[in-house]
Amino acid sequence: MSMLTIGVTGLNAAQIGILTTQNNISNANTAGYSRQSTNQATNDSVSTGQGFIGQGVHVETIRRSYDQFTTGQINSSQTNASELTMYHDQISIIDNMLADPNSGLSPALQEFFHGVQQVAADPSSIPARQAMVSSTESLVSRIQGIDSRLTEQYADVNGRLKAATSEINSLASQVANLNQRISIARASTGHAPNSLLDQRDQLIVDLNKQIRITSSADGDNLNLFIGNGQQLVVGASANLLTTTPSIADPGRHTVALVNGLVAQELPDSVLTGGAVAGLIRFRSESLDKAANALGRITATLALTFNAQQALGQDLTGKIDGSAGFAADYFQISTPKLIAHGRNSGNATIDAQFSLAPLSYNSGNFKVVYDAGSGQYTATSGRYSGGPWVSNDLALLLDTVENSTGEPIDIQNGHFTTDITTSDYRVQFDATGNNYTITRLSDKQVVVPTTAVGSGPQFFDGLSVDVSTAGGTNDSFLIQPTREIAREVTLNAAISADPRLIAAAGPVRGESNATNAGNGKIKIRSIQPGYVQPATPLTLTYNSTSIPPSFSLAGATGATVSVTTGGAVTNYVNAPPAVIPYTTGAIISIDGINFAVSGEPKNGDVFTVGRNINGISDSSNALLLGKLQTESTTAGGTASYQSAYAQLVSDIGNRTREIQVTGEAQSSMLSQALTTRESQAGVNLDEEAANLIRYQQAYQASARVISVGAKLFDTLISIGL
Amino acid sequence: MRVSSSQMFESGMLGISRNQADLFKLQNQLSTGRRILSPKDDPVASAQALVITQSKEVNNQYLENLGNAGEQLGLLEGNLAGLTDFLQYVRERAVQLGNTTLNDRDRGFIASELESRFEQLVGLANEQNGTGQYLYSGFQGATQPFAATSNTSGVFSATNPAVNYAGDSGDRLLQVGASRQLGVTVSGADIFMRIQNGNGTFSVTTPPTPPGPTNSGTAIADPGTVLNAALWNDAIVQPQNFEIQFRIDNTGAAPVTYYNLVDATSGLSMYTNAAPSAGPPYVGEWRTFTPGQAIRIDGLDPAFGTASGGTDLGIQIVVSGNPADNDKFIVRQSQNQSLFDTVKNLAVLAGQPIPVSAAGTTEFANNLSAQLSALDLGLENVLRVRADVGTRLSEIDTLKNIGTDLDLQYTSRISNLQDLDFAEAISNLTRYQTQLEAAQKIFVRANGLSLFDVL
Repeated sequence: MSMLTIGVTGLNAAQIGILTTQNNISNANTAGYSRQSTNQATNDSVSTGQGFIGQGVHVETIRRSYDQFTTGQINSSQTNASELTMYHDQISIIDNMLADPNSGLSPALQEFFHGVQQVAADPSSIPARQAMVSSTESLVSRIQGIDSRLTEQYADVNGRLKAATSEINSLASQVANLNQRISIARASTGHAPNSLLDQRDQLIVDLNKQIRITSSADGDNLNLFIGNGQQLVVGASANLLTTTPSIADPGRHTVALVNGLVAQELPDSVLTGGAVAGLIRFRSESLDKAANALGRITATLALTFNAQQALGQDLTGKIDGSAGFAADYFQISTPKLIAHGRNSGNATIDAQFSLAPLSYNSGNFKVVYDAGSGQYTATSGRYSGGPWVSNDLALLLDTVENSTGEPIDIQNGHFTTDITTSDYRVQFDATGNNYTITRLSDKQVVVPTTAVGSGPQFFDGLSVDVSTAGGTNDSFLIQPTREIAREVTLNAAISADPRLIAAAGPVRGESNATNAGNGKIKIRSIQPGYVQPATPLTLTYNSTSIPPSFSLAGATGATVSVTTGGAVTNYVNAPPAVIPYTTGAIISIDGINFAVSGEPKNGDVFTVGRNINGISDSSNALLLGKLQTESTTAGGTASYQSAYAQLVSDIGNRTREIQVTGEAQSSMLSQALTTRESQAGVNLDEEAANLIRYQQAYQASARVISVGAKLFDTLISIGL
Repeated sequence: MRVSSSQMFESGMLGISRNQADLFKLQNQLSTGRRILSPKDDPVASAQALVITQSKEVNNQYLENLGNAGEQLGLLEGNLAGLTDFLQYVRERAVQLGNTTLNDRDRGFIASELESRFEQLVGLANEQNGTGQYLYSGFQGATQPFAATSNTSGVFSATNPAVNYAGDSGDRLLQVGASRQLGVTVSGADIFMRIQNGNGTFSVTTPPTPPGPTNSGTAIADPGTVLNAALWNDAIVQPQNFEIQFRIDNTGAAPVTYYNLVDATSGLSMYTNAAPSAGPPYVGEWRTFTPGQAIRIDGLDPAFGTASGGTDLGIQIVVSGNPADNDKFIVRQSQNQSLFDTVKNLAVLAGQPIPVSAAGTTEFANNLSAQLSALDLGLENVLRVRADVGTRLSEIDTLKNIGTDLDLQYTSRISNLQDLDFAEAISNLTRYQTQLEAAQKIFVRANGLSLFDVL
């Protein structure tokens, strides 16, 4: 070998070094690019008598700075960060909407009750009633407006899932393609195709932005999996993902893996990481909750308001039972029932809100009225022996008192609902003749195995009646509150004629104008199912009896309950009952509770009768107004507004949590990226230095060649 | 540590964008004045703010209702004040009637004036509020509560009313506190109708005409006194209705006046539970009477035992003057006599000529006294209702003060929860500005350095 040859090896090596440096410099800003460097090695020496003479240098290969562990970290941080970013983007929309002091539910709710109070202040005024109707319409449209934005988000999630799957499909097919090209490149050259490898790594990062990818290397191929081992890319072939309406709930789309011609629906639990998981989690954790919570507030408002409206008398003097009386102020739909797509039977299921449960005695008793069967069911969390069922409320109260020893304090009764924000599943067994109902939020069985046709089952403010058998293992989804907000309306009859608002009480107590004493009669409360006295009930005071008493006329045969200091005494009004007089004692007849107080004189007469011409009476409107602050929601633990505040706080907390964990994930991602950058990133100063180094090496090698040439010239010149 | 060029660029940019994000948020906070821009900024405070906002709104509603109640009660109070003046004026006229110098003609003028005053009273009682609802009709706002009856003669009372009440005893309520409903009306029956005549417990009257005959003596009974209310209220015979009958025994040297207590329903002496013994001579239960004597209705003459029909009723009546034979006073449990009845009775009384005799003057005096005392009770009743309305008005003032204080508290709590601390925000603004400037300068400096510059 000659000096020239050795010099040329040096020139070549330096040239490759310069090219590599140039490539690094030009790719300084390329995403996923790994810094490359040359691996130089000495050529084999030539053995001579004087020993081994070096034969210069060669470039073994050009390798990229790559660390598998760092890449794995980036992938895993990226998929988490993308999931949380997507979640945060979506939930922020709800968060901002709920908070807005002008567009949230809160101002419309206040305005609505302001309208109610205006009617209570001036019940005979048509303008006041019109104002209440208008404020109701604006409340309804506000509820529907919020709901329609939530509905848009459902559609948005469906759309984004579709976009994400098509992105995944495109990326996966590129990876499969690269797998093939990398294998070929490696096989044909024996060198690592650095740029292809970089591209593939970058594609996997991009895939992880959409969904969590696990990979395993198989030679030069990288096989990709999603979920718990579903194959996405194997070697040079990629499987397709698609979105499909969920079989359990066709309204929501979910991700499916195309397996031949069949799209296999992937359960939400296997879809982790990336935008897909962000969307799915957002939908099941937050969007459902927000829609259900809004539905619950709406349903509770409608049910309790309707129950109170039904106990009143409108401006035209109509009461419940009269033709043309609007017993429902709001109209709402029934709980939504969705049959599973693979059901084989034809079960008949009737799901209703169990209307207007009444809670008594600070929760010791709960009385539920089912409008369908017309029956009252009393349950007690404190006493055993229940539930007690009757279609006569007064009789039921007696039975309960006899059974438990504690009288039900009818004065504390107010309307509440037990409706939750959860969905429910009705699951039939293999025979289809028995079913269980499970609350999905906490997987609690609310109706244990029950035979079909056992009558309505009461739970969580619902009554569900399965009357005919289902197919083998059929299941149904009950969404009690999901679409309530969408479909709530003000009763069209009231909207057209505000006089139908039942502001007055259906009965009034009167002390006769000729009474000599100062006794006063006051209607304390009207219970659902009250019976309108056909002729006014008349109580005539008799001071000569011992003790002084009332003799009662009217309501023949009815049970008369008198509550004094918590003790209840019952009388049957046939023949006319003689009721000892105690001032302030509550007398209950046929669901009408009233009290006489003061000092009546002998022969004084008190009557309870229809509230004829009672246009200035606002007693029912006052009760409607009080619903605003009463604990009506969630089994009597929250008012409408505090239930809404709970929703706002839930969403706010969730948003904050997602934001904080998202920030943590982003910072982990940026740490991983920093680590990668510090290994594989291009530093231009470093490259400048390398450029100088290779330039110098090149110049030196060139000089070696030129020295060799000079030596040769010298030899030639000597020879001449 | 090795640092790549893009890393330097990225971290510089990251620093700048972070600072800009902080500034952006601060700018939003400063421009809205709110610390919480969306619930995620402080979920707990957001929820609390919502709940307190409702409390504040509800409190404002109560304040509004209080204002409304104040107006309605003010109207009521105004009407009642008018009614008080009216009754006082009528009373002056009634007292004037008792003036013995007046002749029938003079009284006739007063009679026709009282007659028109009666119309004025019906007008007052049928007063409407600003929205056209009757003040005193209870729940039946559109129903005229008081209408004159067709009764034209006799003594007007609950059994022969001058005016009927068509309203009811319903009290229109307004919600003025979480657990306080304030009545803004008073039942018309309470003010105008339910007024007991006599002294409020019992009445002492001369026999009415018809059926008559009237007393022919000069005895005048006072309104009577209740000595023991329990005995009166617990009396077995209800309603109490009896007579003090007088007899004169002229068989002796000088006439002797006797009296007896007779149950008007049964006609039996309350002392013996048997028919009064006839006379003269008046023996047995008959007691001698001296003018100005307080007749105690005790009924218990030990001579006839305690098992007899009469019981101690716990009242006494002073009768002055000299009764004639067969004169009597009727003592009854008080009955309702409306203000209308009283005014009407006064008008009738004033319009009747007084027979020129001691008996006629006495009869007139007795009747006038009965009506005057009914009028006084009516006035007292109106004043009682006014006191009640006044109490409600003062409660409104108290509740308004409390409500205004509460409103202030709610406002400040909501402000504490969601409003921005401007001092802190502005100092943060300066800080973020400085940080951003520093980040920008560092970015320019650090990325401006390159080895290529010196190549």
